[in-house]
Amino acid sequence: MTGHRATPLRLWRRILTSLLTLLLVVLAGGFAAAAFVRYSPGFDVDENSWNPRISAATAEALQARRQQKTSLPVFYARYLRAALHGDFGKSESLQAPVAELLRERAAISASLVFTGTIGGLLGGGLLAWLAVWPRQRVLQAGSASISGFLLAIPPAVLALGFFFLQAPLSLAVALTIMPRVFGTLRALLTDLRSSSDLLTARARGIGPVVIAWRYVVGTAAPQLASLGGVALVLAFGAIIPIEALCDVPGLGQLAWKAALARDLPLLCAIALLITLLTAVVAAAGDLLSGSRERNLA
Amino acid sequence: MKTPRRVAWIVLSVVCLAAVLAPWIAPYRYDQQFRDFPATAPGAQFPMGTDEIGRDRLSRLLYATRVSLALAPAAAAVSIVLGLGFSLLALSRARWTREALSGITTLSLSLPWIFLFVILRAELPLNTDPATSILLTFALMGIAGWAWAGRVFSASLRSLAGADWLLQARASGMHSWRIAAVHMWPHLRSIALAQFRVLIPAYILAEASLGLLGLGVAEPLPSWGNLLKDLQHPDTIRANPWALAPLALLMLVMICLEALGSDTNNEVTV
Amino acid sequence: MKPSAGLTGLILFTVALGPAAELHFTMAGDPKTLDALQVAESHSETIRYLTGGVLLRINRTSGRIEPELAESWTVSTDGKSIALHLRAGLKFSDGTSLAAADVVRTLQRALDPKEASPAGDAFRSAAGDPEITASSIRDVDIRYKTVKPGLDHLFDQLAIIPEKTAKYPATAGPFHVMDHRPGQFVQLARNPNYWKHDSAGRQLPYLDSIRIDIQQNDDIEMTRFLRGELHLIANLDPENFDRVAKEKPGAARNLGASLDSEFLWFNQAPSKTVPDWKRKWFLSTAFRRALSQSIHRDDIARVVYRGHAHAAAGPFSAANKVWFNTAVKPVAFDSAAALKELSAAGFVLQKGVLRDHEGHAVEFSVITNSGNRTRERMAALVQSDWAKIGVKINIVTLDFGSLIERITKTMDYEACLLGFNNVEIDPSEQMNVWLSSGAQHPWWPNEKTPSTEWEKRIDALLMQQASSGNAAVRKKAIDEVQKIAMEQEPILYLVNPDYLCAISPSLQGVAPTAAPPQIWWNIEWLKLE
Repeated sequence: MTGHRATPLRLWRRILTSLLTLLLVVLAGGFAAAAFVRYSPGFDVDENSWNPRISAATAEALQARRQQKTSLPVFYARYLRAALHGDFGKSESLQAPVAELLRERAAISASLVFTGTIGGLLGGGLLAWLAVWPRQRVLQAGSASISGFLLAIPPAVLALGFFFLQAPLSLAVALTIMPRVFGTLRALLTDLRSSSDLLTARARGIGPVVIAWRYVVGTAAPQLASLGGVALVLAFGAIIPIEALCDVPGLGQLAWKAALARDLPLLCAIALLITLLTAVVAAAGDLLSGSRERNLA
Repeated sequence: MKTPRRVAWIVLSVVCLAAVLAPWIAPYRYDQQFRDFPATAPGAQFPMGTDEIGRDRLSRLLYATRVSLALAPAAAAVSIVLGLGFSLLALSRARWTREALSGITTLSLSLPWIFLFVILRAELPLNTDPATSILLTFALMGIAGWAWAGRVFSASLRSLAGADWLLQARASGMHSWRIAAVHMWPHLRSIALAQFRVLIPAYILAEASLGLLGLGVAEPLPSWGNLLKDLQHPDTIRANPWALAPLALLMLVMICLEALGSDTNNEVTV
Repeated sequence: MKPSAGLTGLILFTVALGPAAELHFTMAGDPKTLDALQVAESHSETIRYLTGGVLLRINRTSGRIEPELAESWTVSTDGKSIALHLRAGLKFSDGTSLAAADVVRTLQRALDPKEASPAGDAFRSAAGDPEITASSIRDVDIRYKTVKPGLDHLFDQLAIIPEKTAKYPATAGPFHVMDHRPGQFVQLARNPNYWKHDSAGRQLPYLDSIRIDIQQNDDIEMTRFLRGELHLIANLDPENFDRVAKEKPGAARNLGASLDSEFLWFNQAPSKTVPDWKRKWFLSTAFRRALSQSIHRDDIARVVYRGHAHAAAGPFSAANKVWFNTAVKPVAFDSAAALKELSAAGFVLQKGVLRDHEGHAVEFSVITNSGNRTRERMAALVQSDWAKIGVKINIVTLDFGSLIERITKTMDYEACLLGFNNVEIDPSEQMNVWLSSGAQHPWWPNEKTPSTEWEKRIDALLMQQASSGNAAVRKKAIDEVQKIAMEQEPILYLVNPDYLCAISPSLQGVAPTAAPPQIWWNIEWLKLE
């Protein structure tokens, strides 16, 4: 009717604002990370200053090479300008172009993160379903115990165990995610079970699959999207200790090494990447819930 | 049927009691080194054996429980309160407030917090009393972790805000605080409890990683975190399976919390 | 029929060639540089050792200098110059020829202040840089203005570099770098132009390639070794050594005390964060000696190192047969004597707390680097030992960057537990540690003038040994330095850990020694069965 033209316009404006916020957040994330690194202790220190075999003059020259000559904002501005052309600088600790390092390592981490997230969500969903749907005490207690059990194991230890057993590490990521989404999924399912929609639908004789589907794409969509996003970000966080401890040459290990070496260009790139991922996930969640709100209205 | 809940309460009380009474029931001091018995197997003298420098594992576990069980839940509570506060603010009608808060949440989710801890360590004097250092560490963890809880709260608040019953309540002239208290809280509570259970072990484990930066629980004080760190070396477990005791205890506590949580859920919803 | 004949041919061909022999091991970190002149840390050093062609090499078992790219050499009788004569027909791995001009260029670049080359540091002299000339295509003369002790030894660390720079520079040693993926691996291939041949005339090295994985986790490294994926582990920690000894008894090797040492020192430098009264303790020799006496070094060796370490006696490990002063003995544990010495210095033990004469309780922090199990345990033992004489310490583990900043720049610390990995046996390596003006003079770096008489004496002795060509004079000076170090104890030496490693029985020709690089010093002669 009248909303025919107004709605797309509003949608566009909404998308535009979201994109703008996203850009701002990513830029701020990169800058904050750079500032953290720049002003954290040990930034300007060359490890060679503790090497007795190097003469004072040489140590000083090496130190001077390392020292940041420009102020942080100038550095960041130049960094971003170069980044626009695909040049993320050169890693100081690994002596290789950052873009190349990221490219080399992205595949390993991406497969870990994605299979881990999906596995974790499916596993968590299954566990939550077992806890809620059959209405059986044993299953309820059992699934809660499994979740509690998994929560207690440090991700890195879990991954190390898998390494020694020669099992896939993505399973370790999935098992890390699983208990962390279990609680929310269980709450959602409990909500569904008791909702009036369900009762009406049942009364109308609609099958459980259809009900579940409607629920997933309808009522629970924003929460699920948000949870999926959180799971993705969680998985990204989990691969840092996992990769670092198990010596997997992925982005997580790269991030850890960069942090220990106070590698400014590398950390900047990683911070931009992680903020982008988090922000996109958040914006997607917002947009989804926004569209649903409109549907309701 | 409230048996699982009752059992959970009993187990948790026993664990807490053991922690409180550690100085009286532990066979030895947590830092006493029996240098003639490093890494010994369990026996009459040392029920769980000793660690690599001859300290009684059982005594260390008891003392560790005090530190971890007192502080990790507190830090988790801080995160949840902050997260909830932020997400309530984010319900604001003003568009820019919403965008800004969502931006801040995203930022705190993606910042390399580890450097904040590195900076904290640099600012703290080296002779800081262990209790202060531990407290500060847990407090900062609690603050740094709010965004996780915040995201989940925001999402569920948004879906609640659109729910039919809420619109009806508004239409019937209920005050928004009253709506929040009467209708939203039960929903939020189950989410808060779920978050609580996720955050507690996360903080217990994170505390151990912060040992890398010279924060958290320092030698010779034990914590579940630094006892669990031993598990990164498979040899430790091979040599003495009792090295797994802290993990088992943490699991037990987590399972109890789950058991309590699932029961409250049912009460809310049924 | 034909394909099968072809297949047989192929199999026969492969058998004749033998499977490609690839040595496989790991390093904890990446080489920071592949430029031989820029090498400053151990990972780059490993790559330089395996790839770099040197003029002379120190035989790690006999300690004698042996000819490499230089066929012969003579050090002048006044100890000021050396003449080196190169082999004929030398080539780099890329096929370009190697002549006297390359040696001259390498040395000149190493000495160029703009290059800031750590490799050049050993060749510098207080009296000015040497004069380097190529008198023929195969002859190089190097002449200093004053005596340069151990002139021929220096060439063991100088890899001759080609004129052309490249991502993977050409080399004149047994191997050259084929590929380096940061954080993943370094792949080395045999140098097809390596000059050395065995007695049967076969060109060395025997190995075809070396793959070095970058692996930080010791437990994973050990598991891979036990699975047979790796041929060796350089530097095992005591726990993993015991595990290998149990599961593969023939593979675990204890090479005895290493040149490395673990030690503790107090910050004596003026610092904003160390109160005056604490600094007074740290400046007091009696305080340092008493605290040193109350450390049970044998317990550290027995408990923390599982018996694979020895109590240390001063700056040189007993493994350093040439320079160690045998008259110097490790400080024996004696807490009663320690308390007596403390009370003579005005300290009193009241209700289990040691107090100085102004009534301050003796409590201070000890920093050490995190992630090192052995060091953390050592700190716990020291803490418990000192608690027995009423001294309370707070152990703070810091990441390496923060630690180095505190001990070299901000001086914001009270005491520190750390170690040095010594690579060479010559005392010149420890000059920067013991000279009061040295940057790594741990307790007070870069002193403008020596703050005590004994530091002044050490400075004089060190300068004396550095300018003398006479081995006996040098040894006498260094012996006295060690004696003073043990009397004054500015550094509390704790233990010299044993060098522990694992070598697969399939690796033939290894002759491991305590001097680095312990396992692969004769890499060109190693074979895989």
